[in-house]
Amino acid sequence: MVKQGVIHIHRSMGRVILYALLCLAFFPSLTTAAVSDPASVFSAANNFIAAGDYQKAIETLGAIPKPDPNTSGSDFVKSRIQTASLYHALKQTKKAQAACHDVLELFPDNKEARNFLIALKKEEIPFYILFFRDCTRFLPSLLKGAVLTLALTFLTMVISPLGGLFIALGRMSRFKSFAGLCWFIIWFFRGTPLLLQLFFIYYGLPALGITFSPFTAAIIGLSLNYSAYLGEIIRGGIESIGHGQMEAAKAIGMTYTQAMRRVIIPQTYKRLLPPIGNEFIALIKDTALVSTIAMVELMRSADQMFNTYFNVNVLIIAAMVYLAFTTVFTLVFERIEKKVGAYENR
Amino acid sequence: MKTGENVILHLENITKKFGKVTAIDQVTLSVKAGERIVIIGPSGSGKSTLLRAVNILEEIDHGRIFFKGDPVGYTAIKGKQILDSPKNISRLRSKIGMVFQNFNLFPHMTVLANIMEGPVTVLKKTKNEAEKTARDMLKKVDLSDKWQVYPATLSGGQKQRVAIARALAMNPEIMLFDEPTSALDPELVGEVFNTILSLAKEGMTMIIVTHHMGFAREVADRVVFMEKGAMVAEAPPEKFFSACMENKRIADFIQNIL
Ligand SMILES: Nc1ncnc2c1ncn2[C@@H]1O[C@H](COP(=O)(O)OP(=O)(O)OP(=O)(O)O)[C@@H](O)[C@H]1O
Ligand SMILES: [Mg+2]
Repeated sequence: MVKQGVIHIHRSMGRVILYALLCLAFFPSLTTAAVSDPASVFSAANNFIAAGDYQKAIETLGAIPKPDPNTSGSDFVKSRIQTASLYHALKQTKKAQAACHDVLELFPDNKEARNFLIALKKEEIPFYILFFRDCTRFLPSLLKGAVLTLALTFLTMVISPLGGLFIALGRMSRFKSFAGLCWFIIWFFRGTPLLLQLFFIYYGLPALGITFSPFTAAIIGLSLNYSAYLGEIIRGGIESIGHGQMEAAKAIGMTYTQAMRRVIIPQTYKRLLPPIGNEFIALIKDTALVSTIAMVELMRSADQMFNTYFNVNVLIIAAMVYLAFTTVFTLVFERIEKKVGAYENR
Repeated sequence: MKTGENVILHLENITKKFGKVTAIDQVTLSVKAGERIVIIGPSGSGKSTLLRAVNILEEIDHGRIFFKGDPVGYTAIKGKQILDSPKNISRLRSKIGMVFQNFNLFPHMTVLANIMEGPVTVLKKTKNEAEKTARDMLKKVDLSDKWQVYPATLSGGQKQRVAIARALAMNPEIMLFDEPTSALDPELVGEVFNTILSLAKEGMTMIIVTHHMGFAREVADRVVFMEKGAMVAEAPPEKFFSACMENKRIADFIQNIL
């Protein structure tokens, strides 16, 4: 097709090109005979390479024989190395290696062949080894970020259940204005994006003269947000305990506080653990949002390294670290659930 | 306080309304030490509300409550009655044992812990003291071998006996029973009645709401009949089950139950 096109379009040139192509076609057989002329072999091979026919080029180069031990053999070396590169281009790694070994057999110190082999070997490395190498390369900095992620998670995990309990009891309080305030906190922090809340605390409050370090701002934002969510969950748990329990506690002379602490709240643990566990898993991932207020936690350090090296493995490794956290967390929570719920099965 | 020295509980003209419904209508009742009052009456006649008013689980609208001669639960300020402090109310409740229809045991605590809870948390007794009391009470209700199980594994009758032990552990001056057997299968009713009867023999003061006329006859010093919140009749059992039967409504009620 192409040949025809060329002939049709360049009528005057057609004959010349056709001639050249014919010459090239017969060249190998011509040169095979001309054993003693390496220069023409190389130029013929170059012509095939230029035409894109690497296979023919390799056949052509094969015409250069093994040299006598007392000659320099530079042509032979040159031809084999070139053969190796051609095989490499054809993705036939084994044959490329063989070509290199041909050289090393006669000239064990040949640098070119050696380097070529090393390069080929590197390419042969399976992806998981490369991935492992990336792990050792990126993991240390990622883990540094992960420490911050864990610190944020754990602090919020300690503060938010207390805040949630406070808000839950507040909403059930007899004091209307306090109940209203707690309702407002829940309404606001569940009704706006966490990202916005973090921005407001870190970038907005300084305008009012209140400045926080990124870490403090992150803890405040995460804790308030999660207290609001846990508050509603805890309130639901408390209200799910039958009214009779409070009455029985009061009937033996307990105050409201004693009844809550000793009787009502302990009974909510089993019911509350699954939903609170879910919230905490969401929390592990939500800590990624604080990367927007200048905290270099796991997500941010992954982002930085990805932008430096453009290596997808960075993101995969970061994902694995997050998964490790959430998995360990899930397992631990399941354990606790089993222990806490024991009285209902005994 | 006008009545005699040995009166444990005196209710004076107490009234409780839920919206338009008058749950307790000007009830006056005295309970002497060691006396056993049985309250009967149709559903919705205010029996439970009356018991709950005694330990202030229900706030009354009018009237006064005396406990061992002292007014309790409310203080009069400028002619208006307002609820006493939570602390005082809790202290009063700790001296009044209450047994509920649905047991209301604490499901997250063992039987022993259920009984120890009041003495430890409310009376501030040491664990050792409380445990000793708890074991004594368990012996009393004949459940010594169940001390370490959780309530969920007990039968209804056993649960109610643990509930009785829990109330007794506070060493109450009076016990209130609100239909203690009506959530039980018929074959389990007897064991609970026997427990209550043995308490009666020991001289425990109590008010019992029940629909079991046989038990009422056996345990009561006085039977009280309530209707629409009011005390309609009150008499010792022999008299009640003869003379009061002339009251057609009471006769109909008892006929329906038997
Ligand atoms: N918390 C409440 N809110 C509104 N009304 C109530 C409440 N508790 C009781 N009542 C009403 O007060 C009246 C008395 O109720 P109470 O439970 O004292 O009756 P009872 O004699 O114990 O009936 P039962 O034999 O069914 O237990 C009923 O009309 C009931 O509907
Ligand atoms: Mg009732």
